[in-house]
Amino acid sequence: MAKTVKYIAGIALLVTTVALLACGGEETPAPAPITDPTAPAAATAMPESPTEEAVPTPTEAMHMQAGSRLQTVMDRGNVICASRNDVPGYGFIDASGANVGFDIDLCRALAAAVLNDPSAIEIRLITAAERGPTIQSGEVDMLVRTVTWTTSRDAQWGNYAQTMFYDGQGFMVNRSLGVDSALDLQGASVCVTQGTTTELNLADFSNQNGLNIEALTFEDTAAVVAAYESGQCDAFTNDRSQLAALGTSLADRDAHLILPETISEEPLGPVVPHGDDQWFDIVKTVMSILIYAEAYDVSSSNMPSAATGETKKDRLLGFEGSWGQESLGLDQMAAQNVIRAVGNYGEIYERNLGPSGINLPRENGRNALWSDASCSDCPKGGQIYAAPLR
Amino acid sequence: MAAILQNLTYQGIPIWRHDQVIQWTAQVVSGFLVVFLVAWFFFNIVGAVDEREIPYGFSFLERAYQTPIGQHFLPYETSDTFLYAFGVAAVNTIVVSIVGVILATLLGIFVGVCRLSGNWLVAKVALFYVEFFRNVPLLIQLYFWFYIVLALPPVREGYAIANRVYINNAGVSMPFPFPDGAAAALFWIALAAAGIIAGAVVQRSLAQREITTGQPSYPLIGGFATAIVVGAVAWVVISLVAGAPLVVSQPGPQGAFGRIAGGFTVSGGLMALLMGLIMYTSSFIAEIVRAGIQSVGRGQIEASRALGLSPMDTLRQVTFPQALRVIVPPLISQFLNLTKNSSLAGAIGFADLTNVAKTMTQTAPAISIFILIMAAYLAMSLTYSLIGNLYNRRIRIA
Repeated sequence: MAKTVKYIAGIALLVTTVALLACGGEETPAPAPITDPTAPAAATAMPESPTEEAVPTPTEAMHMQAGSRLQTVMDRGNVICASRNDVPGYGFIDASGANVGFDIDLCRALAAAVLNDPSAIEIRLITAAERGPTIQSGEVDMLVRTVTWTTSRDAQWGNYAQTMFYDGQGFMVNRSLGVDSALDLQGASVCVTQGTTTELNLADFSNQNGLNIEALTFEDTAAVVAAYESGQCDAFTNDRSQLAALGTSLADRDAHLILPETISEEPLGPVVPHGDDQWFDIVKTVMSILIYAEAYDVSSSNMPSAATGETKKDRLLGFEGSWGQESLGLDQMAAQNVIRAVGNYGEIYERNLGPSGINLPRENGRNALWSDASCSDCPKGGQIYAAPLR
Repeated sequence: MAAILQNLTYQGIPIWRHDQVIQWTAQVVSGFLVVFLVAWFFFNIVGAVDEREIPYGFSFLERAYQTPIGQHFLPYETSDTFLYAFGVAAVNTIVVSIVGVILATLLGIFVGVCRLSGNWLVAKVALFYVEFFRNVPLLIQLYFWFYIVLALPPVREGYAIANRVYINNAGVSMPFPFPDGAAAALFWIALAAAGIIAGAVVQRSLAQREITTGQPSYPLIGGFATAIVVGAVAWVVISLVAGAPLVVSQPGPQGAFGRIAGGFTVSGGLMALLMGLIMYTSSFIAEIVRAGIQSVGRGQIEASRALGLSPMDTLRQVTFPQALRVIVPPLISQFLNLTKNSSLAGAIGFADLTNVAKTMTQTAPAISIFILIMAAYLAMSLTYSLIGNLYNRRIRIA
């Protein structure tokens, strides 16, 4: 009798389980893909946001006249940027508790251009996975969080304004090896983290250049750094920004060198929501201002108070001519406000990524200007270049 | 059918309360449910794979893998195919598994016997060893050995013993004989293997003679001598005909970075992996051995002592053969555990099957790769089980 009861109970349990599983499978509808750019209404503004009413939903934005986001920002009195506070150089908390970094400075530059107040910013801290949904929903005015520009992100997330930093995979070696180019790594042992395209880029680089590199593959980066620091491998490879950030944890940072070669493409820059051309143009222009200020040798410390007689410089600073201030809805002197607040591109780089920051070499790399400041026709070998201000 | 129905009604109870009917129904229903569940899971996966256009299939196996592999025991070039690279990685795991199993078993037996030692200190040290190594997670132990290895000097400042053996944190390199001409080497290896078999036969027949006649026949010496003589004669003959079958390769620093090339290298990752796996597994084996020895009746030991056998002989001739029957089945599952635990190698940079296969998933369909990994581990485990079961059948009491 007891046996029978057990059987029945067992069957009942199985049937219930199956029924639950089956129903669960049928009744859970697939979530609407929020990456669909044609259905922006699927994304909702954050309800707890204090500025909820001021931020137009993407649907509204699309129906409103161009310039609405500029108006919204001016009415609200601050610029909302999605960024981070966990990576030295890009977005980090400094000793005084302030959120600083390359990405944060780009946000401050935008606030200085639009509102003439670099501190009128609100930083929304988001994870890497939240980047797409955040910018798609239009709840922030700009996304600057080490976002690599790719074509599908451009199509699905928002508009990439301008590449402000060329990241890419690089190598770190001990200076005592006397290596000054990744092409010298013939027969070297290189430590690499598993699970990224890093390994594949390393293999391609080794194969293409016949370097016969021996790869030591580790599951996590901490082991890679330990193996590298102890000399088990001669070099380690990762994104250059990561190399620089990880380098700060090495016992003797000065004994190590990041080689100039970059073997993969990771262009980083600010992204704005789809559907507002004027705002898109404003952000692009602010990035141009930063870059051309460095090219024309205008910095926060040598800002001229009156026209200098140099046409390009005077046009940038608003003393003569126009680079489109009126059409963009910006102040005639907006560039001066930007440069006074955050400095030019070179200053921002120096402060966050250069010697005062994580010490990522700039000279002769991709992130140098295309031209020399003193001679705009002399190539400097860099790729930092933007639409001319005129 | 009619007979069954008649049989059921004969007992005069309603059919739905009939014990046999209920049991049969339960069997059939649960059988259907199992089939339904398996089919449901299977079609769900197939459906999801189709819907999301997840790539699968095995055509990638013929493509060049193009990614370097750390240490490998088979020759490997980045232009080799995925299939071959997978084989190279599998051989890495097999080598770790075989070396690990042999050393862990020897160490485990030693510690297990020490656990039962009359010497208080020896017994307590063995107890501490067992409790420490089996209670600390294996991954932590691997990291521990990894950092110990890293503490060795780097390759350019490493130890060079007589310019023959190099010790540094990238590994230990030593001279090693490698086949020169493939045909000659294979021929010699075949003959040497035949010599070993002949040696085993000689050893066995001498042992049989010793037992039956009581004459001292030195079976071990005879066996080894036979094997060595056969191997040496074959070596000399092949050397005269076709040149030396094996050539000793000497390690030495090479290239701008002074990496040690040539000879045979046990890489730092492999050292740490083997240390971790052997220590961890041997602590479990020690307990299995102890339990096996203790399962042998006290009377057996007392009887052999009364016959005048030394404690060592008692262990070798009386206790251990009987303990083996208890030890072997759980020992096999420790072998399987060691093999499967070697998949943690990726944490410390040894290119085992799992580590390489996970890298492969970036350029090949992950589903296919994981099916291959599962099949490979399953094949290894089943082979161990088969060998173990055959051995177990041989030593059991008929």
